[in-house]
Amino acid sequence: MAALDPGKLDARERNALETLLKRLADDEFVLAERYTEWQVRAPTLESDLALANNAQDELGHARLWYDVLEDLGFEEQALIYERDPADFRHATLVERPFEEGDWADAVLRSYLYDAAEKLRLEALEDSAYPKIADRVGKIRSEEEYHLEHAQNWVERLADGDEGHERLQDALDRLFPYALTLFEPVDPDVEDDIVELGLRDATLEELGEEWLSIVVPSLESLDLEPPVSAQVDDDTFEITEDMLPEERGRDGGHTDAWFDLHDELTHTYRDLGRSETTKIMDKPE
Amino acid sequence: MSSEIPDPDADATPCAYTEYREGEGAEELPATGEDATGVEADVWEALYGIEDPEMPISVVDLGLIYGVTVEDGYALVDMTLTYSGCPARNMLTEQVQETAADVEDVDDAEVRLVWSPEWTIEMVTEQGKDDLREFGLSI
Repeated sequence: MAALDPGKLDARERNALETLLKRLADDEFVLAERYTEWQVRAPTLESDLALANNAQDELGHARLWYDVLEDLGFEEQALIYERDPADFRHATLVERPFEEGDWADAVLRSYLYDAAEKLRLEALEDSAYPKIADRVGKIRSEEEYHLEHAQNWVERLADGDEGHERLQDALDRLFPYALTLFEPVDPDVEDDIVELGLRDATLEELGEEWLSIVVPSLESLDLEPPVSAQVDDDTFEITEDMLPEERGRDGGHTDAWFDLHDELTHTYRDLGRSETTKIMDKPE
Repeated sequence: MSSEIPDPDADATPCAYTEYREGEGAEELPATGEDATGVEADVWEALYGIEDPEMPISVVDLGLIYGVTVEDGYALVDMTLTYSGCPARNMLTEQVQETAADVEDVDDAEVRLVWSPEWTIEMVTEQGKDDLREFGLSI
């Protein structure tokens, strides 16, 4: 597949690139926002630091993808602080509020998300857009730790009665929303993303592969997804009736997102900002 | 007192979930500008003066600078960051940009953040490793 030249994109290529990048960036950004709610509230100091660190990584990854959107004329503050919340393209999994104090929710969400993230990044490794391909290695190496962290916690929690029960409750709540990770923003544009070589797997392929990994893995811990996605022994499929009403990708979000968006843009609006803040002034 | 402390699991190992990966180096990295001449060498020398904000090590010895070119007074610096969520990103890139632009015979400078090849500990120079050991890191 020929590499796309950033300076010579036609309308179809621009639209496909924008759609793909917003899916990637918004997922990471909103997930990080939710993770930060655990700061100083996680069950132990170590788990607190680990999740805070993962949140920081996700913000870094979001920024790497928003950076590429700047090739298309977008600006970071407009994308984050001035965009209509209904134009965010993240899957509804990442916007759901945590049940108060329910660490199993954070752990399971992280597992479901990071397992999908791994597959998605693999499918971007040879992207026809060079800046995407160049970023994948860096992001993957950081994401490996996230998945390892989530898996370890899921296994440990599943080992105790209360932990197991909480994980099952979280799975019942989160599983339908996790399926929206593989939903289209617009089916035609999603076809373009693959045809143009921006990503080398379709959403259906990614979703089915994800199911074939997470479902047996959860079942081995005696955790049952609330809906069966299994067609036969090793075939899985996402069907319409398994999905929640709000799928995020198409701009349909749960109320929790609008509240979160209002909160995260509050200070920016309140202070009349027109650009993102920096850690310190330029050195003399 | 001690009876209140539960017995640690006999099989427990410290940091069981952490694997400290060394990573692979890239053939042409770390770049240190040792073969650079003229204005480019001056830019490298100036960049040596910039320290990492958290550790007493030059950004060049840390392996963050991947390349420097100067053409017609325009300096282009390729650099990376140790990890993607680096909170000092703006501070560092601005410092590098301004330092390069301040070099004599450089009129303007640009920093291009690059992410491939990804930075690993192997990108730290020998001098850098000494500095980090001196600081107390095991490397």
